[in-house]
Amino acid sequence: MFGYIRPQKGELLVREFEQYRGFYCGLCKQLGKSYGFAARMTLSYDCTFLGMFFGGRASSCGGFHKGRCVVNPMKQCTFCGENQKELKLAAAVSVLLAYQKIRDDLRDGGIGKKLSRFFLLPSAMRANRKASKEYPQLAEACRIMSEQQAQAEQDPDAGMDACAHPTGELLKTIFVTALKELEGLAEDSSQGRILSQFGYHLGRWIYIMDACDDLEKDAKKKEFNPLLRKFRIEGTLPPEKGKEILLYANEALNITMSQITSAFRLLEFIQFGPILENIVFLGLPQMQKEILFLKKEKEHVGSV
Amino acid sequence: MSDPYKVLGVSPNATDEEIKTAYRELAKKYHPDNYADSPLADLAGEKMKEINEAYDTIMNQRRQGGRGYANSSGSTYSGGTYSYGYGGGTSFADVRSLIMTGRIADAEQILNGVPQGSRDAEWYFLKGTVLYKRGWLEEASNHFSRASQMDPGNAEYRAAMNQVMNQRQGNYGGYNPNMRPVGGCTGCDICSNLICADCCCECMGGDLIPCC
Repeated sequence: MFGYIRPQKGELLVREFEQYRGFYCGLCKQLGKSYGFAARMTLSYDCTFLGMFFGGRASSCGGFHKGRCVVNPMKQCTFCGENQKELKLAAAVSVLLAYQKIRDDLRDGGIGKKLSRFFLLPSAMRANRKASKEYPQLAEACRIMSEQQAQAEQDPDAGMDACAHPTGELLKTIFVTALKELEGLAEDSSQGRILSQFGYHLGRWIYIMDACDDLEKDAKKKEFNPLLRKFRIEGTLPPEKGKEILLYANEALNITMSQITSAFRLLEFIQFGPILENIVFLGLPQMQKEILFLKKEKEHVGSV
Repeated sequence: MSDPYKVLGVSPNATDEEIKTAYRELAKKYHPDNYADSPLADLAGEKMKEINEAYDTIMNQRRQGGRGYANSSGSTYSGGTYSYGYGGGTSFADVRSLIMTGRIADAEQILNGVPQGSRDAEWYFLKGTVLYKRGWLEEASNHFSRASQMDPGNAEYRAAMNQVMNQRQGNYGGYNPNMRPVGGCTGCDICSNLICADCCCECMGGDLIPCC
């Protein structure tokens, strides 16, 4: 996905960092196991967070063990327990989102992008079919999101909120579905309501972050960007205007963060609480700072 | 009722001072200010009530040497749920009660039915509240600011406006680019401090940096 949801490493304990890495590497392994080697390429911090979030709500965890990294066999990695249902779900979300991204790129990307995505399509389709069978609700949510997104982009009256809405709804569905699958709780339970609010605003936050990240690129290539639409900019983007736009976007991100943190505070975690708190209270603002205020030319913070 | 010590996250051997600190931390966390207009305000209120009860129970137990519960000592923060004032001659009593009971879609439907010409400050305020609850925060901010522009004297609209302004500035999470890190020290600070120290030394006849 986007890779914006990650911890602020400097504030983690060494033990906590190891556990986080365990989930990261564990998810990679799970991706390979469930959907084949190519699916490992979809590994992201965002889905690691998803796995860890629900892992932290479960009372038991498969434990951690050492092993070799598949990509770099010289490296020793910590893996969290295999076949945890949280990891399985996170892996499914990872391939479903990646497939949607490939489809979108094939539809409206450049020629080079189209060509490279074309070769990824067969394996992505296979993985997508398998994940859709296991979690039909999630596959449906991804499809709806992509459809609504295209609609919002075409409608000239759709503002920031309307543009960010599909991503918010998608993340909301992912969290609510995970709650149902993993803990058997319904959407209208109090946990469901908290996760709906948390997921929706996390999605909104990701969407606005992505719009900021792509601002210059989109202005150059004359592609759709909700921020460019809001400030009615067609053609080149003057640097001082770019700064003004990012300051506005930062406010929009902050008010979204206020909803994320207030929902998050109502949640209780049995394990990994400090790591998840680090991600939400420190990692997300840090990412905001990096993307909006510290980013240098041609530097993209993509997924791994 | 669950174990009051567990609710506050302290051990039963904790001192009164430790309990008070833990209680204050939690009360700050679930304070109604953090949940104004949030669709989760009721859940935060429940949490707050639980904490208040736990605190009162522990304090009463300790005061009476563990001889059972007494009535609340009233030392705790009040629940402070945000209620909508009916007093001020509202023309949208139905919408307000729908919002209060969480029927956001119905409230919005009534609001949308109001013709453009008769949309007053209160309409913008209520529409902003509905949008906020739905998570459409940008438009909610615009509506709140419109409401307080149309009726600058109204405290209710101003409070809503201030709330979103504070949230936008990053006071409730997020990042504020104008805030300097506490206790931070930039390269510029180091240089200027050194030069300052050098000047002071030179005044006294010494020298810290020989080259200037």
